[in-house]
Amino acid sequence: MDHKQALEGLQPRGVIKTSFSEKCFTVFNYVFFILLGLTTLLPFVNLLAKSLSSESAVISGRVGLLPVGLQFETYHYVLQDSMFLNSLKVSIALTVIGTACSLFLTTLTAYPLSKVRLRGRKGILLIFVFTMLFSGGLIPTYLLMQNLNLVNSFPVLFLPAMVNVYNMLIIKNYFEGLPEELEESAKLDGAGNVRILMSVMLPLSLPVLATIGLFFAVAFWNDYFTAMIYISDPAIKPMQLYLKELLVSSSGDFLKDNIDAAINTTPQSIQASSILLATIPILLVYPFLQKYFVKGVLVGSVKG
Amino acid sequence: MLVPGILFILLFKYTPMYGITIAFKDFNIFTGFADSPWVGWKHFERLFTSPDFAQVFRNTVIISFLKIVILFPLPIVVALMLNEMRNMIFKRTVQTVIYLPHFLSWVIVGGLFMDLLSTNGGIVNKALTAMGMEPIAFFLDNSVFRSVLITSAGWKETGWSTIVYLAAFTTIDPMLYEAARMDGAGRWKQLWHITLPGIAPVIILMFILRLGSVLEAGTEQILVMYNPVVYQVSDVIGTYVYRRGLGSQDYSFSTAVGLFEAVISFTLVIAGNAASRKYLQRGIW
Repeated sequence: MDHKQALEGLQPRGVIKTSFSEKCFTVFNYVFFILLGLTTLLPFVNLLAKSLSSESAVISGRVGLLPVGLQFETYHYVLQDSMFLNSLKVSIALTVIGTACSLFLTTLTAYPLSKVRLRGRKGILLIFVFTMLFSGGLIPTYLLMQNLNLVNSFPVLFLPAMVNVYNMLIIKNYFEGLPEELEESAKLDGAGNVRILMSVMLPLSLPVLATIGLFFAVAFWNDYFTAMIYISDPAIKPMQLYLKELLVSSSGDFLKDNIDAAINTTPQSIQASSILLATIPILLVYPFLQKYFVKGVLVGSVKG
Repeated sequence: MLVPGILFILLFKYTPMYGITIAFKDFNIFTGFADSPWVGWKHFERLFTSPDFAQVFRNTVIISFLKIVILFPLPIVVALMLNEMRNMIFKRTVQTVIYLPHFLSWVIVGGLFMDLLSTNGGIVNKALTAMGMEPIAFFLDNSVFRSVLITSAGWKETGWSTIVYLAAFTTIDPMLYEAARMDGAGRWKQLWHITLPGIAPVIILMFILRLGSVLEAGTEQILVMYNPVVYQVSDVIGTYVYRRGLGSQDYSFSTAVGLFEAVISFTLVIAGNAASRKYLQRGIW
């Protein structure tokens, strides 16, 4: 009897023991994620500090997380630099025009493909999906653009990306999920296909359109590769390409020659401030990005 | 309504596919597309005997392999740990922070790492010297540059990649956990016997998808971060095609290299999907 009681007495202690190890885990978990978060954020803090520090402090490597020898001349310099401002304008134009055109064409294509009654639907879908699996590659695409006289032109930055099959499939799937009856009743009221798309389907699809619009916008804003291939004219270089050249050129002393000697700054500070300025637009829309991108990824992964 | 979309895809996607034929020709920009002479497999023979390409292919496979081995399991571990986090506000804050780098371009992330790892006032080398070690020229050292590539890729995408797994957790029946708790299973046992098996199909699916792009070792990343000093360890198929094609204008040869990659990738995706259908009863399409 005593023996049994002793055993029972042990029982709660066992429970305490597991909860102790669970507590250890919880603490470990917090520490891990705080470190992970810091690893993500601190590089930006360091960059910000560098962009605001004086020349001597940056060169001697004394800048950690806080600016040393605070100065704002770097930002003043970058924001007056005509190359930077021009590339910013190109990027904004590209993001706005590219997103609008792509969203329009992608939606226009997705709608008929969402209708089961469309003749040859499977075959047409296959034509689209095949391009996700196989492509002509860099060089044949470049030669095509050359033949179309699109090299070194602004439209080349968005025209080839306008029908994005992945995004198109997401919109198509969303359309398929809308109740059939809505369309039927619109048809009875004498509405044509275009009318149905514009005044029935689109107003119901705002969430998915917002998601895909953001997909496009972020892709256009971040794309440097297309510009690097096709654009050499400085007047139409988007910001990401300008930044890339800025990063590579720092070793080529291109900046040092261009910086007015009177300004208290360094190529590193200019790079740092340019990188941060290019990040700001993303940060401004980040709350929306996070919300809609997560949704988009989930829709895509469930059905795509 | 379909016409514009189909025209776009035919023009911008299918015309280049037809353009692949220059891989079997000696294409010259002056003689033009149609008049360039057919040369059969010549460029592929060059490709398979070229020591350059052997190196490029090896780099591609090594970098891709390292990325898969190290970076594929990471988001799963992070997602599992996030899943154990009971403090919802903290959890959501962490998610917000670790998703962020995904939205930055490789130019930004590359610049950030160049700055952090610079020998010229970079914070990492500052820490190394403070600990009495020699500074490392991360971007000029053939023995560490691949690690830079893998670390920066992990920094950028690990957080974001947790999403799929976090979503998979929500599909697991909560009754299973309740039953396990009744049977006295602790958190560790629940994780091992319920959570992991619950998301196993998603893990396998993601793995198959990942294998399909094994020859895409991160062209956009490497184009920003590499330089001639480290070509030896970081020149991959994508960057090689770019330099040979657009730099040296060796159009036919680089098209052949591109086609080689495209065919292998295509085959891998098809095979992966078939395997997934057979063993998981669930394909990618």
